[in-house]
Amino acid sequence: MENRKESKSFHATLDSLESIRDFLTAKGKMAGLDKNKIYKLCLAADEIATNIINYGYAKTDISKKIIDVIIQLDDEGITVTLEDTAVPFNPFDNILPTNDDLTKPLEERPIGGLGLMLAKENVDQYTYQFKDGKNRNIFRVNSRTT
Amino acid sequence: MSLIVNSEFSNDVAKITLSGALDSSTASQLNETVQKIIPQSPKELVMFVEKLDFMSSAGLRVIIYAKQKLGPAVNLILVKPQEQLVETLRMTGLIFSVNIVDNYPE
Repeated sequence: MENRKESKSFHATLDSLESIRDFLTAKGKMAGLDKNKIYKLCLAADEIATNIINYGYAKTDISKKIIDVIIQLDDEGITVTLEDTAVPFNPFDNILPTNDDLTKPLEERPIGGLGLMLAKENVDQYTYQFKDGKNRNIFRVNSRTT
Repeated sequence: MSLIVNSEFSNDVAKITLSGALDSSTASQLNETVQKIIPQSPKELVMFVEKLDFMSSAGLRVIIYAKQKLGPAVNLILVKPQEQLVETLRMTGLIFSVNIVDNYPE
């Protein structure tokens, strides 16, 4: 397969989450991902898109709230970039739940950090860049089982 | 896809049936249902999730909240979750706080 790049813009509102997942599902199929990997990619992107919508763009004028989803397909899988112009937010600066937190009974555990953990755990690689005034959350999923 | 939430309460058991996608745009629907159930003090909370095709951390948070409010003595039962949902529960450690069953009398 020759390398293919494609992008689509979405309004940064919670109503767009489903459309973003539908878009990623279609592209994941084109990349040859199995159902499970497509689900995980959608989950990772959903978690980060939610953060962008709820926190990054919280104080932004609605007309400027846009998430660009950029897809790059190659022989070995798919790279998905969520690009936004919200305030810089490096998810890797945040503290993830510890193993200790995750084994606590539900009644005792703190709520929070779960979304970010799911984003990191559900793709082969997750990186963040802030470049040219844009946040870039980049997910890589390989089509072959490693 | 969105989310469809149905609930009923009888014999101290609260039952919630979910179908569709439970994400940040729909979790408030489940939250509303949970808020109505909590004051009724059920002995068991049963969630029928066979047709729940997607769940993000927004859904997990509602489940954690329900469990926190209902207390450790109240069983939280998930009926027929899809494989990916079980994987999410496992990844986040919630699997230890819920019971997963293949069927439950509706």
